[in-house]
Amino acid sequence: MPPRLQPQRLPQPSACQCLRSRPQAVAEPHVFSRSFHKSPAALERNKEAGKAPVRRKTLLRRDMDAWLAGPGFRFRRSSPGSTNYLSAYDKEGNMRRWPEREEATQRARETEDAREAEVVKQEEAEGVDEAERASRAAVRAEARAKRIAEARIPPKERLSDLYPFPLNQAFKSEAVLSEELREELYRQVVVRKMDLQGVSAAYGVDMRRVAAVIRLKTIEKQWIEEGKQLAAPYNEAVLAMLPTTPLRQDGSNMVAHESINDLPVHPATRQQLFYPTSESRNFTREDAAKAFSPSLLPADKRIPHPQLVQLERWNAEDVSRTERLNRFAEIEEKEHAAAVEKERKQKEWKARTQRTVQGRRWDFKFQDISAENVGKDGRSSKGVGHRYGMPHTERKRGEVKIPTSVE
Amino acid sequence: MPRKYHALKVPKVRQDWSKWNLYNLSRIKTPNASKLSFFQQKWAAKSLARAYHNPYVREGQWTRMFDRRLPAVVPMNFQYLARNDGSEQASGRGMGLEEEDAHEMGRSEPGRRKLGMGMAKKSTPYMHMAFYPLERRLDTAIFRAMFASSSKQARQFVTHGWVKVNGKKMTYPGYLLNPGDMFSVEPERVLFATGVQKPVQQKRGAKKAAAEGEEAEEGQEEVNEESTEEPSEQTEVKGSDSKEAESESAPNEADAVPGPEEALKALKKLRNRASHIMEGSKAELTGRRRQELRSISKTVRATMTRFGRRDSKDPEGQSVEELTALLNDIVSKIPKEHLPATEKTSKSEEGSAPKSSNPQAQDPEHEDEYKAAKDAQLLHQALQRARENPYDPSKPYRTPWMPRSYMSAFAFIPRYLEVNQNICSAVYLRHPVARPGIAEVPTPLSAETMGLAFNWYLRRR
Repeated sequence: MPPRLQPQRLPQPSACQCLRSRPQAVAEPHVFSRSFHKSPAALERNKEAGKAPVRRKTLLRRDMDAWLAGPGFRFRRSSPGSTNYLSAYDKEGNMRRWPEREEATQRARETEDAREAEVVKQEEAEGVDEAERASRAAVRAEARAKRIAEARIPPKERLSDLYPFPLNQAFKSEAVLSEELREELYRQVVVRKMDLQGVSAAYGVDMRRVAAVIRLKTIEKQWIEEGKQLAAPYNEAVLAMLPTTPLRQDGSNMVAHESINDLPVHPATRQQLFYPTSESRNFTREDAAKAFSPSLLPADKRIPHPQLVQLERWNAEDVSRTERLNRFAEIEEKEHAAAVEKERKQKEWKARTQRTVQGRRWDFKFQDISAENVGKDGRSSKGVGHRYGMPHTERKRGEVKIPTSVE
Repeated sequence: MPRKYHALKVPKVRQDWSKWNLYNLSRIKTPNASKLSFFQQKWAAKSLARAYHNPYVREGQWTRMFDRRLPAVVPMNFQYLARNDGSEQASGRGMGLEEEDAHEMGRSEPGRRKLGMGMAKKSTPYMHMAFYPLERRLDTAIFRAMFASSSKQARQFVTHGWVKVNGKKMTYPGYLLNPGDMFSVEPERVLFATGVQKPVQQKRGAKKAAAEGEEAEEGQEEVNEESTEEPSEQTEVKGSDSKEAESESAPNEADAVPGPEEALKALKKLRNRASHIMEGSKAELTGRRRQELRSISKTVRATMTRFGRRDSKDPEGQSVEELTALLNDIVSKIPKEHLPATEKTSKSEEGSAPKSSNPQAQDPEHEDEYKAAKDAQLLHQALQRARENPYDPSKPYRTPWMPRSYMSAFAFIPRYLEVNQNICSAVYLRHPVARPGIAEVPTPLSAETMGLAFNWYLRRR
C-alpha cells in the first residue's frame, strides 16, 4: 500500500476561492524563511545580514491585488449606460449578458485606428500645415474616444444583473424615478393642481413618494431661484449608476414605478386560524377579516387606493365611462362634505367645552378635563398637570436624550 | 468598534464603498454549517450580520431595538379585488380552483396570473428583515441615500453638524427617523464623500490658493459677501472656457465693485485665475488657447499697473470706467452671435464636426467664420459643463468632480427612501418592509445566515 498523503501536506487552498483571477495550477514561488519583522529598519537589517529577501505582501494581500487588477477592474469606473453590480459579471470578470464585450470594443478600436490612419494619410497628401493638423487630430481623437465608448455600451440589464449582493437573492437594486418623471409629477401636482391620489394612480408611484418628490422639488426650485449651487455632477453620476423608471410621454405603455396598492400585513393576521363554517356559506374577504379580528377591515378598504377597486367594479358592470366618472365625483363630493362637517363639529365641540377669558396680555383658556387621561402610571402627557408634582426621570442615569421627532 | 475593519483573513462585509470591501463581498460565502453545532452556527451568522449592520451600535443597544415581529406587505391587484370577493379562494375542494379548473372556467393561464392569483407562489423573505430597526437610524439612512461612502462617515457627518432633519440641525446619529422625515446633508460634504480623492498636486494648489486668498482678503471686510463669493466660484472654470467665464463674471464684478481698491483686487483675482487655469490643465490646452490666456493675463497686468499709477492721483470714478472698458474688451473677443447656441444644436454639430471640418475648411472665405462659430460652440458647451463642475483647487476633493472608484458596484437606493441628489436631501417615506420575493433591507448575507442571526436574537437561544 502506498504511503498515504497527509492532508496537511496538500497545498492549502487560499482564502480567495470564488473569484480567483490567478490560475490555481501555477505554484507561487515559495519563500521558506518566515519574516516576522517587516518594518523598514528590519528590512534593512535583513539586507545587511545577507538573509533571504523578505516578502513584503502576504498571500492574501496579493490575491486581493490580483483580483482588483483582474476581475475587479470592471468596478473601478461605472459602466456607461448601465448599472455595474457584482452579479452582472462572472468569476473571470466577463459581463454575463454580453460576454463578447471586450472583443467588440477591440474591434471598434481597430476600425477607428484604421480610419484615423486613412485620414492622416489624406491630410499629408493635401499638405495641411502642422499646427492645423494637430488641432484637427485633437478634435478627431475626442470623437473617436466617444465612438469607442458608445461601442462599449452593453444591452439593457436583465433581472439577474441587478443584485448588488451575490449571496442575497432577495435584495434587488430597484429603479428610482428619473428626473423627467420627477419633473412631470411636480408639474401635475403643483402646476395642474391634480390631487395626489390621482397622480399616484396614473403614474404608478406611491402616494407618499409623490408627496416627497414634490417637497424635494420645491426646495430644488427654491435653490435655483436663490442661485444656490446644486450638486448637478453628483446627480448626473448617481442617476447614471442606478436603474431608473423613465417617463413615457404616450400614456399607453406607462410602466408602473412600484406597486401602489400595498396591503400591510396586520398583526392579527399573522397567526393561522382554524375557523369552522358551513360549506354552503359564501365566505368573503370581509368575513375572513372579521374572523381574524372584529375590528379588522377587509383588504379592499385597507389598501391606499380603494377608489380603484370601486371604479373597476363599475367597469366590470359595463357602466359607461362618463357615468363612472360622475359617480366617482359624487362619492368624492360626499367624502369632502363629510370631512367639512367633521371639522365643523370639532370646532363646535371646542367652543362648547372651552371657555376663553380675555386677559390684559393673554387669553386664558379653560377646558373641561377628564381625570382618567393621566393613564395607568399617572405620567401620560395627555393628563392634566403631568408636569407638576411628579419627579422627572430625565436626569436619571442612562436616560436617552435623543429626540424622537423633529417638527 | 471592530479592531480589524477590512480583514482579509476573516472577511467581513461592511457598509462601505471601499475596494477592500468589494473584494470581501465578492468572495464571501455562507459559512459551512456541517461541522458546527447549532449554537456555533448562530454565533457565526450573528457575528457576520452584525459586522455589516452597524457594529457601532452596541450589542445591548441593538438587542433592545430588536423586534421579532417583522413588517411585510402584500401587493394587491385592484382588478382582482374588484372581480372577486374572496370566496373563490374556498371554491373547489376548499383551497381555490386548480389550474385545469381555471381553464375550464375560461380563464386562461396568463389571465390568471394577471389577476394576481399567482402572487402567493413567491415566499416573503422575512429573515432578511431581521435588522430593519437599524435602517431607521439617521446615519444608516444617510449611507443608504448614497450621501456618504460608509455608514461610519455618515455618522461623522451627523456628529459634525452637516446634517439637518426637517430643516433643523441634528447631531445624534442614533436619531430614529419617522416616516415623512426629510434629512439633508451639506452638498459640499456629499461631493467630498462620493468624489475621487484629491491628487497631491491639487492639494498643493489648494494650499497656494488659500494663501493667496488670505492675502487678497486682508482688509476686505466691507465688501459684501456676494462680490467675494462670485469670483471664487468662477475661479475654477477650466481650460478653453476661461475667456468666456471671465466675460461672464465681468459684469457682476463691475456691478459689485465700487472702489479702485476692490477693482484692483478683482483684477488680481482675474490674473490669478488665468494662471491657475494654465497650471491646472496644461495637458488639455492647445497652444493657441494658451496664447490667448497669456494675452489676457498680460492685459490685466498692464491695466493693473496703470491703475496703480492712477490710483495716487485720480478719484475712483475713472478707474471703475477703465475696468468696465477692459472687461468689455474681453467680452468683445468672442463672436457674440454664436454664444447663445442651444444644447441640442451644439451636440449635433459636435457629432458631425470631424466629417464636415475638411470640406468647409478648404473654402477660404468661410473658414474663419466657421472656425469662430465652432470655437464659440465648443466654448459654450465647455462653459456649461465647467460651470456645473468646475476646476477648483480650493475644494477638498478632486475637481472637476468625479464619482469615486468602486462606487457603482454599491450604488442602489432602497425603496423606503426618496432621494433628490441635486439638493442632497432625502425623505424617509416609511419603514422598510418585506414583500413577496423582496426584502427592502439591504444585506449581503444569504437567507440561511440571516435566519440564524435572527434566531440568535430571539429570547431563548
